Amino acid sequence: MPQPTANGARQASSISIRSLHKAFSSKMTALDGVDLDVQPGEFFTLLGPSGCGKTTLLRIIAGLEQPDRGSISIGGRLLDGVPPHQRSVNTVFQSYALFPNRNVRDNIGFGLQMQRVKRQIIQQRVQAMAEITKVDDLLDRNPEQLSGGQKQRVALARALINEPDVLLLDEPLSALDAGLRGQLQVELQRLQRRLGMTFVFVTHDQQEAMVMSHRMAVLHEGQVQQVGTPQVIYEQPKTLFVARFMGHQNIFAIQQRNEDEIVADFGVLKGRFAAGSHILLREEALSLKAGVVEGHNRLTARVEECLYRGGSTEYRVLCGNARLTVRSHNLGQALFASGQDVTIDVAPEAVAILPG
Amino acid sequence: MRLFWYATMLFLYAPLAVVVLFSFNAANSPARFAGFSLRWYDRLMTNDALLLAFKNSLILGVSSSLIAVVFGAMLGYGMYRFRHWHLHWLVWLIYLPIVMPDVVYGISEMTFFVAMHRNFGIFEPGLSTMILAHVSFQIPFVALLVHSRLLVLDPLLFEACADLYASPLKRLRYFLIPVLWPALLASFLLAFTLSIDDFVISFFTAGPSSTTLPIYIWSAVRKGITPEVNAVAALIIAAVGIAGLAALVYHHVKFRFSHSVKT
Repeated sequence: MPQPTANGARQASSISIRSLHKAFSSKMTALDGVDLDVQPGEFFTLLGPSGCGKTTLLRIIAGLEQPDRGSISIGGRLLDGVPPHQRSVNTVFQSYALFPNRNVRDNIGFGLQMQRVKRQIIQQRVQAMAEITKVDDLLDRNPEQLSGGQKQRVALARALINEPDVLLLDEPLSALDAGLRGQLQVELQRLQRRLGMTFVFVTHDQQEAMVMSHRMAVLHEGQVQQVGTPQVIYEQPKTLFVARFMGHQNIFAIQQRNEDEIVADFGVLKGRFAAGSHILLREEALSLKAGVVEGHNRLTARVEECLYRGGSTEYRVLCGNARLTVRSHNLGQALFASGQDVTIDVAPEAVAILPG
Repeated sequence: MRLFWYATMLFLYAPLAVVVLFSFNAANSPARFAGFSLRWYDRLMTNDALLLAFKNSLILGVSSSLIAVVFGAMLGYGMYRFRHWHLHWLVWLIYLPIVMPDVVYGISEMTFFVAMHRNFGIFEPGLSTMILAHVSFQIPFVALLVHSRLLVLDPLLFEACADLYASPLKRLRYFLIPVLWPALLASFLLAFTLSIDDFVISFFTAGPSSTTLPIYIWSAVRKGITPEVNAVAALIIAAVGIAGLAALVYHHVKFRFSHSVKT
């Protein structure tokens, strides 16, 4: 059990995961040697497409699934073989899993009731937690009378009220519509910063992961591809998979790498680059100029498509043998028309080399 | 269309009305109505054999239903819990007794009990063998109701319980039983109804001292329909009617209440 700190709040716990393996059958490997360290008080996101093993990893942390090999410890305590009801870990499930036979008040108080907390104290804490999660006017309703967003808040309150060492969230926002989702992303992030609790969040949405996380791990086929801050993962992806998954469009195989230049489908870039298999040009860091302008690391191209998106315009341009995407912010400049000859200015910060 | 409706209602309720009417018949004969009288109800209350049969029916119904609910619920839960094991053949085996003709079932039970009694000295025909026989045909119904209730639950609810510090025993007490309560009550009532109603299986498994109401009525009617039997039938009709009305009112009130909360 974690020790309470001087101000009454509980200290956040770290998680360490060592060489975790899990296979559901000989053909279906969910986790293939996962090592991760989550810092105390961190908002940590497991990001990946469906079937990458992220939910399995979350379920193993909760104790709902047993690993084939490997271990998990929370706050330095090894959790091998500890059943879920004896772990100080709570989960917000994707479908919320609110008890249909209990009203909102009794749903939120369930965990405390199971821990034999006095009824009077449960009432007080339910009230306080309901105010934090803004469900205090719904306490007497039944789950079927709640909207999706309300259910989500109740599920969150039901988990948070137990003050667990770690809160696990399994795609809790994926069932909500876009507007509400954005709002709850901000609220959830604020709440985590305020409580200082360790959150492990699972999502397949890279935007959501970047908005909310301190750090994130990208998973693919049961393996951790990369761990880092959203900025590092987005700007310096280590593998082709991470780069594609983070939404990058301009990824090209390096055909030739000389001492001070790189050759790819789009042409030649001068400079001393790290060794790697692929080169990434970030679409929003490239800039377009009208006409053909010679200069350092400038590529001539022709506009094929122009997609106006309000805040920005996305151009699909043909450059050498390659198609590139360039996104330019609409700051009042004239748009380029399709068919127009343009020059792409490749700034050094737009380039990343993928080692893997 | 309307005519059809009246005809249906007539066929359904006219015989019941006749039975009730003749239970108040002052005359002894079912052929004519000779004025209002409560004498058959009076006779009823002093007929020890009939009262004993009624008591036997109640004992049989309540105890067999209670046992069947416990075991049937366990079976239903097991079928749900291990649904990934491809137990369709087992499920089929469990449901077979539901469609089995009562006569076949009754004869089988009787043969079994008699054989057991002869060889091992257990299962002497009587109320206990009847309870066993009733439990065995009630269990599939209970299992069916419980299983279908579990199937509509979110499977994550079980995990949510465990995640929220509920030990297996607490999961049973604070989640499974409360959530299954309506299904358990419904299956108890269904099992009870089946038991009270059953004649065929009871007849084959009964002993000399364990006459139930249906068996008593059957033997009474063999000697000719007496207004006394009519009085019993009328009382049962009244009981069922009151129970049905209570259920209707309860549902109406509950529906109104949940509706008013929502808006």
